[in-house]
Amino acid sequence: MKPAWRIATVGVALSALLGILVLRMWFLQVTDVEASLDVAASQRISIVSIEPPRGDIFDRDGTEIMAGTVATLRIVVDRKLIPLEREEGLIQNLSALLGIPAAEIRQEFVDRGSGARFPVSDGIGESTAVFVLENIERFPGVAIEPVPFRVYPLGETAAHIIGYIGAPGPDDLGRVGIDPNDRVGRFGVERSYDGLLRGTPGQITYSVNARGEILGVLEETAPRPGGSVVTTIDLDVQRFVEDTLLKAMALAAASGEDQVKRAAAVIIDPRDGSIIAMASVPAFNPIIFSDGQLTEAEWLTLRQEEVFNNYAMQGNYPPGSSFKAIVYALALENQISPIVEEEYRDIVDQTEDPFAFFSDGELLFTNTPPLNDWKDGGHGFVGLSSSLIESVNTYYWSIALAIWQGRDIAWPENLLQDWARSLGFGARTGIDLPFEGTGRVPDREWFQSLQAEGSGLVRSEGGWSGGDLMNIATGQGALVVTPLQMAVAYAALLNGGTVWEPRVVSTVVDSDNNVLFTNPPSVARKITIGADTVAALKRDLNGVVTAQNGTARRAFEGFCSGDVPDSECAPLREVGGKTGTAEIVQATEEGVTAVDTAWFVGGAPLSDPQFIVAVVIEQGGSGGQVAAPAARRILQYLMGEQPDPLRAGDDTER
Amino acid sequence: MSSVSAIDLRPQTRRSRPDLVLIGITAALSALGLLMILSTSGPRLEAAGLGRNSQMVRQAIYVGLGAGVLIVTSLVSDRVWKLAAPYYYAGMIVLLLAVLSPIGALRQGAQRWISLGLFDLQPSEVAKVGVILALALMLAPVEEGRMKWLRLLKVGALVGFPSIFIFLQPDLGTMLVFGFVTFAMLFVAGTTVRQLVMLIVLALIALGIAVELDLLRGYQLERLEGFFNPNEQTLQVNYNQNQSQIAIGSGGMFGQGLFEGSQTNLAFVPAQTTDFIFTAVAEQLGFVGGTLVIGLYAALIWRILMVAAIARDRFGQLAATGIAAMFGFHVFVNIGMAVGLLPVTGLPLPFLSFGGSFYLAMAVSVGIVNSIWMTRSPVPRN
Repeated sequence: MKPAWRIATVGVALSALLGILVLRMWFLQVTDVEASLDVAASQRISIVSIEPPRGDIFDRDGTEIMAGTVATLRIVVDRKLIPLEREEGLIQNLSALLGIPAAEIRQEFVDRGSGARFPVSDGIGESTAVFVLENIERFPGVAIEPVPFRVYPLGETAAHIIGYIGAPGPDDLGRVGIDPNDRVGRFGVERSYDGLLRGTPGQITYSVNARGEILGVLEETAPRPGGSVVTTIDLDVQRFVEDTLLKAMALAAASGEDQVKRAAAVIIDPRDGSIIAMASVPAFNPIIFSDGQLTEAEWLTLRQEEVFNNYAMQGNYPPGSSFKAIVYALALENQISPIVEEEYRDIVDQTEDPFAFFSDGELLFTNTPPLNDWKDGGHGFVGLSSSLIESVNTYYWSIALAIWQGRDIAWPENLLQDWARSLGFGARTGIDLPFEGTGRVPDREWFQSLQAEGSGLVRSEGGWSGGDLMNIATGQGALVVTPLQMAVAYAALLNGGTVWEPRVVSTVVDSDNNVLFTNPPSVARKITIGADTVAALKRDLNGVVTAQNGTARRAFEGFCSGDVPDSECAPLREVGGKTGTAEIVQATEEGVTAVDTAWFVGGAPLSDPQFIVAVVIEQGGSGGQVAAPAARRILQYLMGEQPDPLRAGDDTER
Repeated sequence: MSSVSAIDLRPQTRRSRPDLVLIGITAALSALGLLMILSTSGPRLEAAGLGRNSQMVRQAIYVGLGAGVLIVTSLVSDRVWKLAAPYYYAGMIVLLLAVLSPIGALRQGAQRWISLGLFDLQPSEVAKVGVILALALMLAPVEEGRMKWLRLLKVGALVGFPSIFIFLQPDLGTMLVFGFVTFAMLFVAGTTVRQLVMLIVLALIALGIAVELDLLRGYQLERLEGFFNPNEQTLQVNYNQNQSQIAIGSGGMFGQGLFEGSQTNLAFVPAQTTDFIFTAVAEQLGFVGGTLVIGLYAALIWRILMVAAIARDRFGQLAATGIAAMFGFHVFVNIGMAVGLLPVTGLPLPFLSFGGSFYLAMAVSVGIVNSIWMTRSPVPRN
């Protein structure tokens, strides 16, 4: 037949096509088989992460829990496992079970998208969970999952130290192993020790099909719980301090300081830098970040009151006269005599005391208005001791003038600033808590850079002057410090020169009490202070609370329990401190008003200091009037005396 | 004496028994199809709470119907097929029109089906046989090397007319089948090489115009785009094809074993009872099994072409050639798609893919070939 070759050609062509298929299959199934097998295997597993229980936070004895984790149950819906036509029924059933409006659950389904896995209810009861599991055919695609829930049994107590957890911020997401769905420490110890507290997540590897349906468990790694943090906090002291601060604010308000905003205090152990207590009131309850019960209005109120900042270490305040102890020690160490006005030079010289001074209440200079001491008519003859006890402003101005006149001759211009910095001012102390304030120690360099910027924060005319240094010497002007810096500096002055890097956490242990991490006491630096200087400072700090003219004498009256008179009260001879009243000039609608922030910084027992106490009552008035009484009550507690009810002390050194 | 008496000069009404090789291959492929449909649909049906066998049973019903259709069409003489061809063609046009009318059912964005209650009739499958018969009838008088241009034009009209309706459904795959089958039949009918080259050029120009005028649907372009960018994972068409290749690759030399295909059984591969059924074969039975199946198709095509070669007239010869070309094209395009050689076109695999209309159309085709075989001219021996 003629067309036989044509049919044969069709046959050859078709055979060639089928031959190509066989070649391609050889390539896929024999030559290149490994790659396909790998991809196929990886598609058949699904890895689910298990949240590890977060570690606890304990007080210094490791007995009382400050933050803990309880296991609660939650309902999780996996839309991949729900047939589409059964979704509406499931929503109705969940709504009936949980008492949540169906529309809300439906919206959640829509928001999460198809194929999503998400919780519909946190913290369900055990009976609810059992009901779901027993009637699982009515709840397709629903699982019950244990979920760790953070609790804070102390409420507002030590809230700023403990901190809180929350959704990770942009800074957290940069860390290794942080998932946007995680809860991470956002403040306090919860934040600074987040890495140790959070533990290591576990993993379950499931074999699944293309729709994500679980066919079996291939591998399971249990989560490793986070370590438990042992703090240095003495909770009894902490509670007492917070209570006292709240009472002090009430006292200030009752004494006419109705603008009083908040109070903060730090108690540090000068022997190792451990924080014994640290409080900032008003505070907040960290649970509000965990339980989601806070309303928007409540949140706004709390925000407005700025309760979330720990002012004991974040607040930058002018220290006022409490800074005089720092200048006192510098003057004694460097034998700096105050500049005496011309008219008193003769009578002062007769005393043969290099630190002698005569105060008539005002300091006169040729081209400035007279500078007035807080005490009208002055303090008369003043030595170094009485300058601190009576808090004589003119005396410290004169010391500053002496430093200014000797600048670049006897010592560098920044003699005072360098001394302050060596004691820890103007920089973070390095405490193991986040967001610490730095304070500020102004000097010529700082002044000029701000002037050059035209920031308006400093004078635009003239240069850095002796007047600026005089301001620093009395804790005014641009000098600002945090209460924590103040406590660290006083600790260094009283312990003979050890500037501590304070700590709130001593160790982190696992559930079997094995130590995972230790945070030993850490010395920031050692400075040289003569033993004589330390002894003199101790004596005169005691003078502040006991001497006739001491600015805190009234506040410390009746320090001993019972009817023991002060002259026979031995514990009173072991306490000392310095008051401070920092003037902050505020421009308001009614004009320029000055509000005072009250300070008291002291220590006890003076023969072997164990506690340094720094108290700040923001806009609370005079240091002698409110801060010193609060400090007295705290020191009474620390010294084992019966704390008295708070009463106002002298209105001093405005 | 004895040598004279050995010659039987009586006319023979039935020259032959049925072609058992042809029917045997068809039966083997159909049985394998049922097995693969059970293997791929069973687990999912079970998971959905339905009967594990339900889809396979439906296909088994189609196979049973197909067997009946095959027997009936085999018994119909090729002469009758020749006479019936114009009516078949006309009926097919009516069905194609009906599918575009409101009677037609719209599924997955295409209007290809007429719902008949028990099963859906897909007229484009019926049309494949109709076009082959009509072409065979039209080309039968052509002498070797004497194809007239006028007849070529008529052929174009004959194929082009139903193509319009199929294009509107749309069903690009069936149009390609028409083109390939027409080309093969024209070749066997004695068309000159020059004419064939001319036709190819014309076809390419037509395709170019179609793309220019945006006549192709979005998904059709997307499939082509996916084919030319095989590593672009975001394209859904590529997902299907990549999954198919992974599944086939994981079959290896001997396969994962029947009912053991992790990729196909776990539903990573889509449309696995229809367009991607070969993927399940290759994954579960491996290179050996897949090659065996391709070999069965090769044997089937070879057998049909053999029938073409010994058919008693040009009509039978051309019809069998067209049917062989149709099988060959389906197999090549379908498997080529599964192994990632060709873009995705919805052409099912004869006898293996799930689907009633298609199975019956293929059964009719085999029946026609068998009918041609049974009425063939005696093969001269020696």
